[in-house]
Amino acid sequence: MDEAHGEKSLLPSLETDLTWQSNNPFGGPTSSTLLNHRSIPEKEHEARVPKKILKCRAVSREINFSSKEPMDKFRLEQRVLFKGKCLEEWFFDFGFVIPGSTNTWQSLIEAAPESQMMPANVLNGNVVIETRFYDEEMCVSVSKVRIFYV
Amino acid sequence: MGLLSLLRKLRSNPDLELRILLLGLDNAGKTTLLKVLASEDITHITPTQGFNIKSVQSKGFKLNVWDIGGQRRIRPYWKNYFENTDILIYVIDSADRKRFEETGEELTELFEEEKLGVPVLVFANKQDLMNAARSSEIADGLNLNSIRDRAWQIQPCSAVTGEGVKEGIDWMTQACNKKK
Repeated sequence: MDEAHGEKSLLPSLETDLTWQSNNPFGGPTSSTLLNHRSIPEKEHEARVPKKILKCRAVSREINFSSKEPMDKFRLEQRVLFKGKCLEEWFFDFGFVIPGSTNTWQSLIEAAPESQMMPANVLNGNVVIETRFYDEEMCVSVSKVRIFYV
Repeated sequence: MGLLSLLRKLRSNPDLELRILLLGLDNAGKTTLLKVLASEDITHITPTQGFNIKSVQSKGFKLNVWDIGGQRRIRPYWKNYFENTDILIYVIDSADRKRFEETGEELTELFEEEKLGVPVLVFANKQDLMNAARSSEIADGLNLNSIRDRAWQIQPCSAVTGEGVKEGIDWMTQACNKKK
């Protein structure tokens, strides 16, 4: 990856792209692309997303990543932070990552019907989506994206 | 179709998490099939240089579909993805007769894997192509009828036209729900 890491010599080279999308809950075509960036570790990015995503019952998140080195126990932790407090979190274990590979992970989560969403004006600028990638216990990349609802 | 509706069908399985593994030679159509299952556009598909995963989560149930690249360089890594697999989908390009032997060898090796003693759905894909072999011919060539240690099914299909995909998924749903 790059210089932003303190212990770069130990770290696998990992490049990631993150995309968040609101989806048709029944797996139909994507209605809007919310965020797509090449993440630079540790640096906070900003994304402007349409307010209507808050009304979507199913949200799709996609992550693409490439790794030059093999990894045995690759996993991610993704958190939605509101003013620094964790509202939601997801974990996923990828396990083995093939050396020289490019990989994609798309996750579709159907929200519970009863789930309450704070209004867009409260959330606006106060939500950070943090994605941490680990190989076993070693953190190999962190991506932080601050969300503005427009 | 869509993966959420597939997940709903699979709910009668007591497992809270289901893992489907898609394997087959390169250019068999695994990624296309994965996208068709998710009701996604299939116009821009490139050779998979690693894996593609689709996860669906609803009401505490999780479905993970793993599509692993089929290029020769990648095949030795397939074994890293066997663990916890509930169903194997093996995809064959029915028109690629030159590589029937090669795909048969790979499938035979998979059948010998202890960690992968799960039901197998073989998709005889690309039936829309003129020179596609019939699924019965492929089943004979692969000697599928000699399989005794697991549930299996061969399903002719065309991921591109969608024909036969639903039938395969119906079989898979039954096999999953019967298994436990």
